Amino acid sequence: MNLVELNCDGFRSLSGLCFKPAPGVNIIRGHNAQGKTSLLEALLFAATSKSHRTSQETDLVQHGAREFHVAARVQRSDREVAIEVNWWQGVKRVRVNGLALSRVSDLLGKINVVFFSQEDVGLVRGSAAQRRRFLDMELSQLMPGYLHALQQYRQVVRQRNELLRGGRRPDPDLLGAWDEQLGTHGSVLMEERRRFVESLAGPAQEAYGQVAQGERLQVAYRPDLRDGVPFTEVLAASRDSDIRQGMTTRGPHRDDLEFLVDGEPARHFASQGQQRTAVLALKLAELELVRDRAGEYPILMLDDVLSELDTKRSRRLFSVVRCGAQCLMTTTDLGSQDALFGAECVYFLIRNGQLVRQ
Amino acid sequence: MFLDAPSVERLIEAFRKLPGVGKRSAERYALHLLSAPEEDALFLSEAVRTARERVTTCSICCDLTETDPCALCTASDRDRSTICVVERPAAVMAIEKGGTYRGVYHVLHGALSPLDGIGPDELTVGRLMKRIEAGGVSEVIVATNATAEGEATALYLSRQIGERGIAVSRIAHGVPMGGGLEYADDVTLSHALQGRTRL
Ligand SMILES: Nc1ncnc2c1ncn2[C@@H]1O[C@H](COP(=O)(O)OP(=O)(O)O)[C@@H](O)[C@H]1O
Ligand SMILES: [Mg+2]
Ligand SMILES: [Zn+2]
Repeated sequence: MNLVELNCDGFRSLSGLCFKPAPGVNIIRGHNAQGKTSLLEALLFAATSKSHRTSQETDLVQHGAREFHVAARVQRSDREVAIEVNWWQGVKRVRVNGLALSRVSDLLGKINVVFFSQEDVGLVRGSAAQRRRFLDMELSQLMPGYLHALQQYRQVVRQRNELLRGGRRPDPDLLGAWDEQLGTHGSVLMEERRRFVESLAGPAQEAYGQVAQGERLQVAYRPDLRDGVPFTEVLAASRDSDIRQGMTTRGPHRDDLEFLVDGEPARHFASQGQQRTAVLALKLAELELVRDRAGEYPILMLDDVLSELDTKRSRRLFSVVRCGAQCLMTTTDLGSQDALFGAECVYFLIRNGQLVRQ
Repeated sequence: MFLDAPSVERLIEAFRKLPGVGKRSAERYALHLLSAPEEDALFLSEAVRTARERVTTCSICCDLTETDPCALCTASDRDRSTICVVERPAAVMAIEKGGTYRGVYHVLHGALSPLDGIGPDELTVGRLMKRIEAGGVSEVIVATNATAEGEATALYLSRQIGERGIAVSRIAHGVPMGGGLEYADDVTLSHALQGRTRL
């Protein structure tokens, strides 16, 4: 699918901005703090109603303004999808092809994006919570049933923790009523995460090999519960420690994802460049996965990816990116890059929130 | 805005306590009542007062009623061996509109929710168990909502009642009748598929 037009008004530093990228590779150039990341963030927000930089929507509205609007027009293989997000003093209204959505979760999957951001390096280095957030975001975009199971699971954990709080020893039938639901929804989460990571691992390895020749990347799902042991049995076994600690100690809310470079945990042993390349490979693998599930490539957004890679890696990355997906790539390098990318790319320059095609 | 009119502030506060009413709507309702003809406004307060005075909960099914026991509990053509358990009186009305259910009801007045401090004792679970212990009940249909809390309530009840050798069933959650499959949301549809029945 291709972004045809993106309009932003009052979104961060962007006002009256109209971006019309071409189908292939689009390079958005600009110095620091000119609005490059904000532009990509706006498209992410139209696609998912979430930002990668903040969970506070009030951060997104331009300082001194009370409202913002983001509109994206996307050409899918069989139809056009127009998404409009209007935010006014904390109230968000989303329209798809002119029709108001009653639930924002209905937005997911209308258009698909894969976003590589500066914050994503944390996927390898950061906390397990960050990696779970990645799994949850991506799976929610791919399948509505996952989001439902996730919301239910989280609510059940909250309720169950409340029941356990303060070292109370609840009625086993009462606890059991929540345990059973943890099992139902938790097993959906684990099964989908396992399948997702399995189908991601191969393409990620391939993409990593293409960018960083000679090294090997493995991505593995590390569920808190081992395969084959029923969740209800684990809960029964951990009941005493749950009561002692006053919370639910086992389950997919403790899952993790592991990256290994040449067999070593990348979290501790990989260099910064290797970690970045690993995340990038994961995102490129996701591109293939979304294509398998959605029937066409998602829109690929790469924020400031080149500045951290050497020319060799950049060139190899670029040949991978030219797979046919529309790609929106930002860079602070204003020099001529025709030598690197070839003449078929379309260039844009952004200055002070103003965008011009070059 | 009504710094000089504490009585209006009180009225707005009263509306805000209603479910689904925010600050804006509360102000709108209050202003409407104050600018409407006096008898219209007093009609509302009178209607609230009379309903509150006359309506109690049925001593059998705990539904709201003006006569105790309620009409459904005393009707001669209802099957008293089947009890349908619901969270709210509104659910009784909804099922009755369907017109095909011939059993009786039990209203819990909520669902289990530790976060809101609601356990079995805050609901009418004890009254339900007494009804069952009194005998004559062969099936209990749990029609609580399809939320985590409604589901927990259903599972808890099925454990409590199941011990007594009485059939407990859960209503199916599925696609709306008369609507094409393409109009059902994905989650409802996948639940309907999971809860499929053999033909
Ligand atoms: N809510 C906001 N209102 C106005 N300006 C903002 C807001 N949020 C961020 N900015 C500013 O927008 C500018 C562009 O930010 P960004 O998109 O991150 O730039 P780039 O990616 O090009 O470095 C920055 O100067 C930042 O301070
Ligand atoms: Mg930036
Ligand atoms: Zn009754």
